[in-house]
Amino acid sequence: MSELSPNWLIARQSARFVLRERTVALLATLFVTLVLISAWLGWSATSTVDRIYVDAAAFLKASGQPVPTNPVLEISPLSLMRNMSVYVALIGALSAIVIGNRLVSIDRKAGVLPLIGIRPLGRSAYADGKIAALLGVVLGLIAIAGVMAVATFLVLPSVTLSGGQWLQLAGFLGVSALYMTCFGLVGLAFAARAKSETVALLVPVTLWLTLTFILPQLTANLNPTAAINPISALATPPDTSFFHWAGWLLGPLSLADAYKFASANLLDYLPQGMASPSFIPPVANIVLLTAAAACTAWRALSRIEMTQGDYDA
Amino acid sequence: MPDFNPIRTIAIKDIHDTLRDRFILIVTAFLGLAATVALVSGAIALRGDLATYEAAKATLLAIGKSVDGIKAPEFYPLRLLRGAIEQIEIIGAAVAILVGYRAAAAERGRQTLALILTRPLRNWQFVAGKMLAGFGLLAAGLAVVLVGLALVLHLTSGVGIGANDLARIAIVWGVALIYTSCFFLLGFVLTLHMKQPSHALLAAFAVWLLLVLIAPQIGDTLDPDNQVAGGVFAQLHIAKPDQTEIMKRFASFESLRNGIEVASVTKHFERFTFAILGIKATYAGMAIGPILTEMWSNLFWILLTALGLACLALALPLNPNRLAKA
Repeated sequence: MSELSPNWLIARQSARFVLRERTVALLATLFVTLVLISAWLGWSATSTVDRIYVDAAAFLKASGQPVPTNPVLEISPLSLMRNMSVYVALIGALSAIVIGNRLVSIDRKAGVLPLIGIRPLGRSAYADGKIAALLGVVLGLIAIAGVMAVATFLVLPSVTLSGGQWLQLAGFLGVSALYMTCFGLVGLAFAARAKSETVALLVPVTLWLTLTFILPQLTANLNPTAAINPISALATPPDTSFFHWAGWLLGPLSLADAYKFASANLLDYLPQGMASPSFIPPVANIVLLTAAAACTAWRALSRIEMTQGDYDA
Repeated sequence: MPDFNPIRTIAIKDIHDTLRDRFILIVTAFLGLAATVALVSGAIALRGDLATYEAAKATLLAIGKSVDGIKAPEFYPLRLLRGAIEQIEIIGAAVAILVGYRAAAAERGRQTLALILTRPLRNWQFVAGKMLAGFGLLAAGLAVVLVGLALVLHLTSGVGIGANDLARIAIVWGVALIYTSCFFLLGFVLTLHMKQPSHALLAAFAVWLLLVLIAPQIGDTLDPDNQVAGGVFAQLHIAKPDQTEIMKRFASFESLRNGIEVASVTKHFERFTFAILGIKATYAGMAIGPILTEMWSNLFWILLTALGLACLALALPLNPNRLAKA
């Protein structure tokens, strides 16, 4: 039997240990449940609008007014999953931060870093293993979400997706995996670098809060509760030079904005003529920021002090 | 009569500890930054709307047409606080969880909890002292943020704010204190009683996520008018009275939607503060008294949640196995 590489061993052991953690299991279960709810939400809301249209059309006809076209007919079936983008941005990102944090903090709290340090491993083996474990767990979560999304589209009788739309769904799942990985990598980096366990968790959470609720206000005057509604989040920004400049300058840093535009485009609910204010296209923006997070995490993990034990507080 | 001296001593010691490590200053500054960004970006957007209106008005007047066709932007200074209130609703609750977590975890981290409990001090007095300190810190933090917002509002709105506006902001401060106390108590109780403080923090954040973001989000998403860009009724050109008539046929759907929303203490806070500040159009310009009467049930639910959690914190016996750092 061929011997497993140290990187692979670290990745496998880390993923197994982190999945045994109750908090990780709780957040992962919450994420999967919400993905299921998002399918129901999309279906329920769309069918209600359809019934409202039927009532409104009857009312307009009776009062002799012209009847506009049914807005539901203009909605792509893919947009039924629009709420999933919100849940990836909320619970998915938070779960990824926790997974990244626990992947390293388990070792630090158990005091096994010195033991790993005395093994004949390359300097990058620990970093590669942890990043691979994070990728594995995030991809696992996204795969479960994907299976649920596919099952929803197959079960709903009036919904049929074309080949291109199935590809768009796959693209959306890929972008969601990247988005979650980016936050997971930040969680890994701070779990490796921070002296305090609380700081290791709170800095990535603060970053997530800033990206999700503060930057969209500067780039598009988007209030926090609007930012978590997939339709309201795509309101046109005020037509002032401040928001044009803020969108252009802060857009490349505004990961949540990039994910919002990328998912709206892939799930066919981006209003016509609307585009990200950033000078970098949304998907490229997410790829670049994830790559930057990967470099930061790899650097922090490969320089981790193997003689250190538990956090200070 | 119960002895309140130990409670005061614990509270003063906890406030001193918190101020010394600058934790509360950092989180208050973060909340203040988030709320100020919301206020300033809202003010800039409103100025943009005013400039667009003035330009359109000037164009119409120049060509000799009536300006009745264009709607002037409505201006109520307190409405600019919408984004800031939403930041208190979300980030303020998260900050309160951190304050609660810190109040319990600090003693466990320093292994001083067992030591404190060897003193002639009842468990409830220790918990009450910690709670008093937490409420005091939240009250001061929210006061700093809201006073700062009132100042920025006064300077940026162009018309200034009067005594009535200040009274409304003071009411919002009081309700925000009770609201954030719910999350302080959540973080505090979980951290004091769960085996691992870091797991308690994560569990508190999971509850925060459900109550503050997910439940209101589901309710908001189920709103038919939020399904189509610009609103379904606006797209169908249906007037407001006719909308109400049509929506009567969807009463059970609306009840379900409202039920999901009001399951969250956050929605009660939002409804109350939006009414008091006139952010919701139907309450703009209404006197405080009638709003308080109408919004009483929302305040009642926020109070009930805080009281329930406070009673739980005082009633749960301290487990000696949870006294040290896990």
